[in-house]
Amino acid sequence: VEFTKVAADPSIVNLGQGLPDISPPSYVKEELAKAAAVDRLNQYTRGFGHPLLVKALSQVYERVNGRKIDPLTDILVTVGGYGSLFSAIQALVEEGDEVIIIEPFFDCYEPMVKMVGAKPVFIPLRNKNDGNFASSADWVLDPTELANKFNSKTKAIILNNPHNPIGKVFTQEELQLIADLCIKNDTLCISDEVYEWLVYKGNKHIKIATLPGMWERTITIGSAGKTYSVTGWKIGWSIGPQHLIKHLQVVQQNTLYTCPTPLQEALAQALWLDYKRMDDPDCYFYSLSRELEGKRDRMAQLLREVGLKPVVPEGGYFMIVDVSALNVDLSDVEENQPYDYNFVRWMIKSKKLSAIPLSAFCGPETKVQFEKYIRFCFIKKDSTLDAAEVILKKWNKQKA
Amino acid sequence: LTAFEESFKFSLHLQAKMSRPVQARRLEGVDQNIWLEFVKLAATHATVNLGQGFPDFPPPAFLREAFVRAVDGENHMLHQYTRAFGHPPLVKILAEFFGKLLGRELDPLNNVMVTVGAYQALFCCFQAFVDEGDEVIIIEPFFDCYEPMVKMAGGTPVFVPLRLKAPGAGKPMSSADWQLDPAELASKFSKRTKALVLNSPNNPLGKVFGRGELQLIAELCIKHDVLCISDEVYEWLVYDGKEHIRIASLPGMWERTVSISSAGKTFSATGWKVGWTVGPSRLLRHLHTVHQNSVYHCATAAQEAVAMGFRRELEHREQADSYLTHLARELQGKRDRLVRSLEAVGMTPIVPEGTYFLVADVATFASDVPEAPGSDEPFDSRFAKWMVKNKGLAAIPLSAFYSGPHKNDYSHFIRFCFAKEDATLEAANDILQKWKRERAAP
Repeated sequence: VEFTKVAADPSIVNLGQGLPDISPPSYVKEELAKAAAVDRLNQYTRGFGHPLLVKALSQVYERVNGRKIDPLTDILVTVGGYGSLFSAIQALVEEGDEVIIIEPFFDCYEPMVKMVGAKPVFIPLRNKNDGNFASSADWVLDPTELANKFNSKTKAIILNNPHNPIGKVFTQEELQLIADLCIKNDTLCISDEVYEWLVYKGNKHIKIATLPGMWERTITIGSAGKTYSVTGWKIGWSIGPQHLIKHLQVVQQNTLYTCPTPLQEALAQALWLDYKRMDDPDCYFYSLSRELEGKRDRMAQLLREVGLKPVVPEGGYFMIVDVSALNVDLSDVEENQPYDYNFVRWMIKSKKLSAIPLSAFCGPETKVQFEKYIRFCFIKKDSTLDAAEVILKKWNKQKA
Repeated sequence: LTAFEESFKFSLHLQAKMSRPVQARRLEGVDQNIWLEFVKLAATHATVNLGQGFPDFPPPAFLREAFVRAVDGENHMLHQYTRAFGHPPLVKILAEFFGKLLGRELDPLNNVMVTVGAYQALFCCFQAFVDEGDEVIIIEPFFDCYEPMVKMAGGTPVFVPLRLKAPGAGKPMSSADWQLDPAELASKFSKRTKALVLNSPNNPLGKVFGRGELQLIAELCIKHDVLCISDEVYEWLVYDGKEHIRIASLPGMWERTVSISSAGKTFSATGWKVGWTVGPSRLLRHLHTVHQNSVYHCATAAQEAVAMGFRRELEHREQADSYLTHLARELQGKRDRLVRSLEAVGMTPIVPEGTYFLVADVATFASDVPEAPGSDEPFDSRFAKWMVKNKGLAAIPLSAFYSGPHKNDYSHFIRFCFAKEDATLEAANDILQKWKRERAAP
């Protein structure tokens, strides 16, 4: 909330908040206009998800998961991926439970867990490569450290794959490690996979729910906003076994009852269109990540030229950057604030470029570990990246 | 401990864990929902659906056009996140519009918050203000979600009924005949009372609370330092020249009231799920906290379109083509039509002063429904189910709007929704007439 005020200032090149400034595909916008023209689509639809939409989701995800998914019992449509996280935590996490959260984490996980009276238990991803040409693959969990976080109170682990902010795409082995611990400790897995389609060359998105023994204990979360570059539609979904989804449905009927109809209808139509071309490289699920890979590489290159050290992400549309090498003098800014907060404030003020400090995504103990990093969002149109390039080149010149 | 002991202890813990239910305790007692069953029945059997409350006519053209412009226009950023607590153009116009109605200057950023329908506004209020052990006064009959929402927040619902008084001689039954007993209401307030939920105009009865009634409630809220959650989604649907009075405008009430509204009910667009709360910043900032930890943002395009709808309405308010004035007039006509249809066949309508709902006494038709000895289902529920299956006419039993122990207090009333095209009301009339004829025939 704090940093989104920056978004209102047009003189600042905003690479902070995670929202696209590129246009959604035109067929997606057209479907929404068409839906609004149909009388009954302006009234309430089915609470747990518009029938046409849950059907389309079941088709797409049956194909991806290689298993039958019942549109009525195995799916809940929510207000964005955010709403799915909320519903899953409210439904399944009890006061006094523990929930494992991998740091750095999308910032809402912690308050949502606390709101139900549960205890967040943090485990950091650790960087095993401090050299140049860092990749998100260098950030890994320590298996022993992870195992020690599980105990009889552990109700769930929240997995974010591909990961925001680092962009890590978890490997089969890493997922197996987590799965083994979940099964051994009878722990649920809330798998936030909103960036599932944004995976770059050489990487494959694997769903933890497809590992043996995991379907029955996993809620997998997806997002129309991230899939189709329509974050303002706020439509997401939870997919999982009936015996878990039914509790999320109870939360839904006691919180907002139903999601907007025309948006669900339009999304259903768009999904059908792309479902039919899932063997075609032009399918938007694949074409968007190709488009973003170019932007990712451009961004990484520009940042290196200034002397910053980007961590090239394997997935997602964020990139974290080590800013410590620049040794910027921040002595006149606020004390008691982590380095990265001060760096971002300085950068906004003096360079008119914004990003998000990484310590926004950590628990209190690990702020020190992450405070030399800031997060950039690169799902931006070329003119935005051009403006960022101008700033970065000028910055570089000023250093010389 | 030895390795064996460790392993044994671990497996005991695991067994204990596995024998607990997987779901959280807060879901206890809130998993039932009458709508699931009745919506399904209507979808399967109804030829005429006067059940669930939504219009079968579309939102006005100017609103749909505003939506299409938002969606297909040059500004594609309307497809991205907007301000979490409400899209700036919308909160700005709402502050202006409702400021005028309340006679007070409203800050769009701190006195207005947009929600995913009024439903989510209610959820935010209960979560923000109700703690374990708090009591919340709910006036019966009530929109059914209040009870489970209070429970989910750990609170205790305390019910107080509207009681049916006999109408004056020769007068038809009116929603105005349903009244609170002042002494009874006062007795419901205790040290633990945190809030009172007011729904005026009232769903399902259609009652529009008068100034005296609101003053009674206000005095008690002030005396006991109780918050008022005021569900006013039907604020524009008041008939016969009656006035919708906002409890937040009564002395001493602004600071303790959250008023809730709905674009769905205002503009006949229930599927857009845009609602909002209006209140003092000392209360709204706690709604912000719940909102930012539950849904965070509401859909942008719909908010943009609703903003345009209000802008137009502000310009046309006093004129003949004000949508809200026109809608109330239209619905009053439909109300009267349904009243006539029901009276003609021997059902006794309670003429509503507001909303688009009407409750009717169906006692004279009770004998049509087969007995069900041993069933503890309220009669009106059995009646409504039988009616939709056998006559194709969907309506909702009044017991759906009562707490468990009181579901049989008024057992032969059902609720009809009359926000329907004339053709639909005509078809309902045909069903009723046919039914009457069948009963008269030997």
